[in-house]
Amino acid sequence: MIRKLFLSLLLLVLFGCSNDSFPLMQDEAEGSITKFNNDTHGTYGSTYVPLSSENTVIRNATVFDGLGNMYENYDIHFSDGKIQALGINLQVDAKEIDGTGKYVSPGIIDIHSHMGVYPAPGVRTSSDGNEATSPVTAEVWAEHSVWSQDPQYKLALAGGVTSFHVLPGSANLFGGRGVTLKNVSANTVTAMKFPDAPHTLKMACGENPKRVYSSRGPSTRMGNVAGYRDAWIGAEKYKKSLERNPSSRNLRNETLVGVLDGEILIQNHCYRADEMATMINISKEFDYKITTFHHAVEAYKIADLLADEDICAALWADWWGFKHEAYDMTIANVAIVDQARDGTGCAIVHSDSASGIQRLNQEAAKALAAGNKAGFNISEARAMTWITQNPAKAAGILDQTGTLEAGKNADIVIWDGNPFSVYTKAEQVFIDGALAFDKATQFMPHTDFDLGVKEWEVE
Amino acid sequence: MKYFYLILILSFSYLSPADAENSVLVKGGNVFLPDQGFVKKDLLIEEGKIVSIEDQIDDGVTGKTIYADGKYITPGLVVFSSLGLLEIGALSETNDNSSDIYNAGFDPSKAYNPFSQAVSLNRSKGVTSTVHIPGASGYFSGLLGHTKINNGWKQKKQGPLAVLTSYGQSRGDSRAAELQFMSDLFDFVRNRPEDKANYETDNIQFFFGTQNDYQFTNRDLVAIRKLLSNELPLVVRVNKATDILNVIKFADTEGIELILWEANEAHMVADEIAKAGVPVVLDPLNNIPGSFDSLNATYENVARLNAAGVKMAFYYNQGAGSHNAYLATQSAGNAVAMGVPYNEALNAITKNPADIFGLVDVGQVSVGFEGDIAIWDADPLELTSFVEKVLIDGVEQDLSNRYEELTDRYTKEKDLPNSYRSRE
Repeated sequence: MIRKLFLSLLLLVLFGCSNDSFPLMQDEAEGSITKFNNDTHGTYGSTYVPLSSENTVIRNATVFDGLGNMYENYDIHFSDGKIQALGINLQVDAKEIDGTGKYVSPGIIDIHSHMGVYPAPGVRTSSDGNEATSPVTAEVWAEHSVWSQDPQYKLALAGGVTSFHVLPGSANLFGGRGVTLKNVSANTVTAMKFPDAPHTLKMACGENPKRVYSSRGPSTRMGNVAGYRDAWIGAEKYKKSLERNPSSRNLRNETLVGVLDGEILIQNHCYRADEMATMINISKEFDYKITTFHHAVEAYKIADLLADEDICAALWADWWGFKHEAYDMTIANVAIVDQARDGTGCAIVHSDSASGIQRLNQEAAKALAAGNKAGFNISEARAMTWITQNPAKAAGILDQTGTLEAGKNADIVIWDGNPFSVYTKAEQVFIDGALAFDKATQFMPHTDFDLGVKEWEVE
Repeated sequence: MKYFYLILILSFSYLSPADAENSVLVKGGNVFLPDQGFVKKDLLIEEGKIVSIEDQIDDGVTGKTIYADGKYITPGLVVFSSLGLLEIGALSETNDNSSDIYNAGFDPSKAYNPFSQAVSLNRSKGVTSTVHIPGASGYFSGLLGHTKINNGWKQKKQGPLAVLTSYGQSRGDSRAAELQFMSDLFDFVRNRPEDKANYETDNIQFFFGTQNDYQFTNRDLVAIRKLLSNELPLVVRVNKATDILNVIKFADTEGIELILWEANEAHMVADEIAKAGVPVVLDPLNNIPGSFDSLNATYENVARLNAAGVKMAFYYNQGAGSHNAYLATQSAGNAVAMGVPYNEALNAITKNPADIFGLVDVGQVSVGFEGDIAIWDADPLELTSFVEKVLIDGVEQDLSNRYEELTDRYTKEKDLPNSYRSRE
């Protein structure tokens, strides 16, 4: 039994991490290269339409702005899906929500989710997160696996999550492209896609690829590294060949070239410090940028290097020990990364779990407490950036969400108390200014899968 | 060198729970009493046992006094885990919680490693003992046992406490066949000559069926016999509401004691579980319809079971599981947020595990109980609280651990490279 439990954990954690990116696409019909416009992702672009929203003002709340500040007795006004103003006693005529005794934060963002690609119930017929058929599958897109009826989305919504980044798993060196979704109910994946969010590319270090491909290779970490470098050399060649033959298409290389062109963000599953340093060396050899290291249990060992390179680390607060490369855990990891180089580090609390994503505020609370116990002096307001501003930055959507600033999307959570307490719940969640979840009335989306599931009275 | 061994031998001979410091007085703390919750009390522990809990106990002339003004004192956490049996999950060579040889008679507690890094971390987080979760691959997962996780070579153990199995989709065959099989197996054991069935060391393989899952050694049959004689309860990991009712009926028919495990849909049949007097061990955080057996999983599970009067013990089963077993506090804290009364939630990670599994003298701060306590700087269920001291059998524990050392190594300014920095 425990073995079975453990295997399912392995499936989630061992394979559950990969990033993808959005590269160039070519329009075959016209015989020329059409660069993917991030606004649309071509024919795969976002068709998201926000729910209708009201002109609203939340009064007299304690506000975390996601930039590292906390304001007491603050008002926040939003309309037309955008934040209009924050301040004391805002003079606006709008629907009033009494925020007295309540806390307000930006919508929570998870940079590492497999909802949709590993939906619930967890059965093999819908386990679509790992194309574990070749070490390099940069050609696959997680969005093409996403099940829009996954009943897990609304559970994350009840935890304040307004956006999440779905990645392929970590079986492969290059796992495929990731996609950023709005936490909204829809019948198609494009209707969930976060408009203008860049594609990402999931890469994976360490134990998983070398185990999965041990018989055909790579079977060692050095084999992994050779595999990354070979793929990048191929991408460079492909890029050059486009000058001569612009209409030739190659899905795998389109993704990789998208990274080299800076349009696709690298999300790199990598636990060990020494391997992360090697991955940075590879990125310099081929002149691309690593946006985020994921599951970086040893990030604290190279926190200064990460800060110097402007690379975010997406971390669990305290999960560890399920595999060898997750052995050197410290609960101060997030804080050490955050405080590197005079507080210029980019720390993210991520979930990689349909359970953890429901309580990212709690996970941040534990990481904050451990950091301060280790001697730092980190505020709750700063810790809030770990689950709002920083994951927005890592997903390339910080210009639209992740902080409470005038002009940004009104992705807002009202908490019934301090979100760093275990007893606190999200009371209302707004996405683009529209009420998406209301605890009091149990207003929330239900997927088609939820229908017919009910509690029969026992006779 | 000769003397070194002599000292070692002498130390061994003195290492026993009776070696507990003679007396420890804990003064001024808020003590969690099982029926009252936190009350300001002084606490006297002698020879490893709690001997007195009073409003005021004068500082003794002998022994040690711990001043705990403003602190919170709870029983040490009793967790359900593979602590000490599992160093690194995905490295099978470091795993001792599973067996292919035995099933019902598999007792992993004998493999307990007191020096596991996971043990030291969990001890520093307020855990004082663990109920081992066995993971044998056969029809039964094995025997649950209880081990204190104190420093040093010797630990007090209680057990075996129960036999673990599972029912529902996690088993391969039809639900109908699985119950029929268990019934047939029980009949077989009942009809076996007693002298043979009680001969524990006669481990000749006994094939009940053709598949490996259905092989039993005599040791396994002996454990099953203890189920039938009510010496041990049967713990069934089961989630689906209809399955839960069937298992309750089965246990009643067979005359065996039952404990439900995991039980994601238990809230749907809470009254029936309460009526049958069956306790439930579960993680309040399990709210995902993660299988077709758990379509009605909900955060409300624990509140409804509590309202129905079901006795519950909580454990943490998210993420890395055993390595983070101490996060039972987070599970319990969330249970409070879901509507379980605070004292019930704290009892569910201390007293109730002991009650449910018949543990003697552990799990609560009461006179006569063993001196296993954790002293916290604030509300023990809150995410930002820390354990300051842990006593097991009245002995203050060394709470240092590899993870604090790693933290120190990478946070304190040092002139030398990390690897030359001194170890604590």
